[in-house]
Amino acid sequence: MTYPEFAKSAMDYAKRKGCDSSELFYADGESFEVNANEGEIDRYSVSRESGVSVRVSYRGHEGYAYTEAIEDPQRLVDHAIDNAACIESEDERPMQTKQTYQTVLREDSALKQISESDRIALVKRLESLCLAADARVKRVVYCSAEYGAGNVVLENSLGLCAQKSSNHSIIYAMPSVQEGEEVQTGFAFRMGRDAADLEGCAKEAVADALGKLGGKPVDSGNYRVLLKPYAMCDLLAAFSPMFSADNAQKGCSLLAGKEGLQIASKLVTLWDDPFDPIAPRAFDGEGTPCRKKAVIENGELKTLLHNLKTARKAGVESTGNASRGSAAATVGISPTVFRLETGSASCENLVSELCDGLIITELEGLHAGVDEISGDFSLKAAGFLAESGVVRRPVSNITIAGNFVTLMKDITALGNDLRVAMPQGGYYAAPSVLVRRLTVAGI
Amino acid sequence: MPDQKQLNLFRIDEGTALAVLREAQRSGADYAELFLEDTESTRIEMIDGKVESANYTRICGAGVRVLLGTQCAYAYSADTGKQALLKTARAAAAAIGEAKHAPNGEIAFSMQRFTTPVSQPFDEVGNADRVAVMRLGARAMKDESPEVTQAMVRYLDSVQRVMLFSTDGVFVSDERPRTRIFLQAVAMKNGEAQTGFSGPGCCRGFEAYHNGIDVEQNARIAAKMAVTMLHAPECPAGRLPVVIDGGFGGVIFHEACGHSLEATAVGRNNSVFCEKLNTKIASDCVSAVDDGTMPGEWGSINVDDEGGMPRRNLLIENGILKGYLIDKLGSRRMNLPSTGSSRRQGYTFAPTSRMTNTFICAGSDDEDEMIATMGEGLFAKMMGGGSVNPATGEFNFSVAEGYWVKNGAIVSPVRGATLIGKGSEVLQRIDRVGKTMWMEAGMCGSLSGAVPTNVGQPRIRISCMTIGGKGGAIE
Repeated sequence: MTYPEFAKSAMDYAKRKGCDSSELFYADGESFEVNANEGEIDRYSVSRESGVSVRVSYRGHEGYAYTEAIEDPQRLVDHAIDNAACIESEDERPMQTKQTYQTVLREDSALKQISESDRIALVKRLESLCLAADARVKRVVYCSAEYGAGNVVLENSLGLCAQKSSNHSIIYAMPSVQEGEEVQTGFAFRMGRDAADLEGCAKEAVADALGKLGGKPVDSGNYRVLLKPYAMCDLLAAFSPMFSADNAQKGCSLLAGKEGLQIASKLVTLWDDPFDPIAPRAFDGEGTPCRKKAVIENGELKTLLHNLKTARKAGVESTGNASRGSAAATVGISPTVFRLETGSASCENLVSELCDGLIITELEGLHAGVDEISGDFSLKAAGFLAESGVVRRPVSNITIAGNFVTLMKDITALGNDLRVAMPQGGYYAAPSVLVRRLTVAGI
Repeated sequence: MPDQKQLNLFRIDEGTALAVLREAQRSGADYAELFLEDTESTRIEMIDGKVESANYTRICGAGVRVLLGTQCAYAYSADTGKQALLKTARAAAAAIGEAKHAPNGEIAFSMQRFTTPVSQPFDEVGNADRVAVMRLGARAMKDESPEVTQAMVRYLDSVQRVMLFSTDGVFVSDERPRTRIFLQAVAMKNGEAQTGFSGPGCCRGFEAYHNGIDVEQNARIAAKMAVTMLHAPECPAGRLPVVIDGGFGGVIFHEACGHSLEATAVGRNNSVFCEKLNTKIASDCVSAVDDGTMPGEWGSINVDDEGGMPRRNLLIENGILKGYLIDKLGSRRMNLPSTGSSRRQGYTFAPTSRMTNTFICAGSDDEDEMIATMGEGLFAKMMGGGSVNPATGEFNFSVAEGYWVKNGAIVSPVRGATLIGKGSEVLQRIDRVGKTMWMEAGMCGSLSGAVPTNVGQPRIRISCMTIGGKGGAIE
């Protein structure tokens, strides 16, 4: 059975069974991943995947079912109807109607035009570049290249039809360096169009590891903190659920009802930009046209992120932030590309402004040490100690703790050094951020 | 006698499997394996007593893995037709070298069929039954306190059906039912919110909810945790003794030690425990085990994902390192036999060495005495999650429910605590191990995806550890 036959049969059957509307979300893709270890390929994976999710609206409720076996549309629809029948929530869940979209051009990522054997050669070279960069590099714990490409077809019985294709590339290296008994690891990645920049990636990863040698904790206490871009991206990703209107409506976000209020320092502007060249997209997970908007502007919360359900409930328009984590997942809400607007200060200026305090380059434990409901976080961190505006020594084995809402209010300066990262699979961009105070546990 | 139901599910016969393995060996691989999966799951989410969403998913596909010495390649596809399987095999083979003639000869498959005893299969349970169980949990959380502003219940059941063929003659079919109910309470007051949770799970059918998993009891634990933490001051920061309670407290061992004992880390020289077999790595009172054979437990397996039999793997005995967790590839790298520890989330992942039910064994110390004699420090009653860098052994994890201890007595609950340290150092600093061990369910993420694992331990004490929190430094 071909997919178009499957889709037609599923929608016809849903209609016969009394569904008010039905929607199919089809995704297929290929992926390639290779990891080099001591000049050999020690992990290599290629794939072809496809799956389809059906969503039905049945007696005012919605139900989902997903399958990777494109063979029995009726059984799938029956599962979805069954699931709809047990829903008790009274929320309306409209489906999108036919839309027109603006044309979005996404440039091909670096590994697209490279053959598989050349991609293998590329990671082997990345490994040898890391090993050659410094005598203290002992091994490369991870040294990988990943390429993926996929297509999405979203169609429903209300006339919606939206399609997109995309591809992505990423390389990353995690060298481990040793000096005496001490072992440290470093990390760097390159993605999108830069994913063939082996030299830059190797150099940054090794420098990151070497910079940590000799690191030790600082005394416990309160510190002024300069969060470097990747650390800030991690925090933005971890606390992005706070901006979801769904969480707000469920009583799970401290930002509920705060639209129009000052929730951050006046220096803070936060964009949700679906057209950012790193990952542009024309429509969201429900087929709603995407649009760029300030979520926070000069410290004021302008909007939460909505999909069709939360927008209907709040009496507003969807912001085009419906997400499908995968074809198998139900419709949720997530940022598109979340970007914290840069300031004017260079990194050096920020260090002098920090004067005495901590520069945090790296956070760990993001999946455990953050509470997106209370905004509290307590995370393992590493970085450098600054004294009198000069970087003194590496710092490791500390935790930093604070509250995200307080942190956003405590921002006193932003750098001009914007970096993009992909924590938790989303796109986040941030510059260095100077924060008035965080609590540090060290010695 | 081959299992006809299983064979029909994947529409594959021994001849096809043989052809696929031979195709996979075309470029000289000395081992090839075909893994087929068909997994059906139901997920339901309830918020404040109302069903919010319900989803059914069916994951199916196949993966082919080849090994040549310590080189490994994996290819997978959602299409399990014969032509697609052959194509997948060719893709895996191509990664290792140029295609030559496929090797000839038969492989003598010896069929082994595994099932998990189930008295109430999930496909005979309706959503109404599932929702009724969830409602018990939602109600119990709300009833616990008016400060519980929101009660969330997430329910999952799934049956993973797999088949495995390898050039070693492995021909295995397995049926793996699992269910878990995750209860989360949010308590809110004056713009502050705290959460509490409990998430029991097991490797059984729906009967688990009538006999085994007490949903209401777990709901009360979650609600109490949220309310207690709502009234707790911030945890102070510093280096002090820490007592970690049993059950989910075992996540410390899982993160700080377990991951560093996996062949994934040890076999590639990325672990602090390399070449430490039969040496002392922990204090005398510590013994630890990974046991995949415990009937019905969340982390248990009938057979591993290379066809190996799970077993009780002794990891540490009285402080001495006794064993690692080893899969086939790790076995080749380490020159040690496999330990029945090869696992994967599903067909989109090549298998690797993973934990099952991992715990610190019961010791002989009194649970109350270890708090009474600790002076000042933290009693971590319930742990959150955590992670570890296996190359350095540095770990971090969060404390979901903590209490501050002064002069050997609990003085106050504290919120927002984090524990960090190095596995190798913490193991040496365990100075008390209690008498009663229990386990709790978790999901463990690593190279081969997310797999269900149990963590466990009795109550233990660590003489000194870094405690992070924003309640200021300890005076």
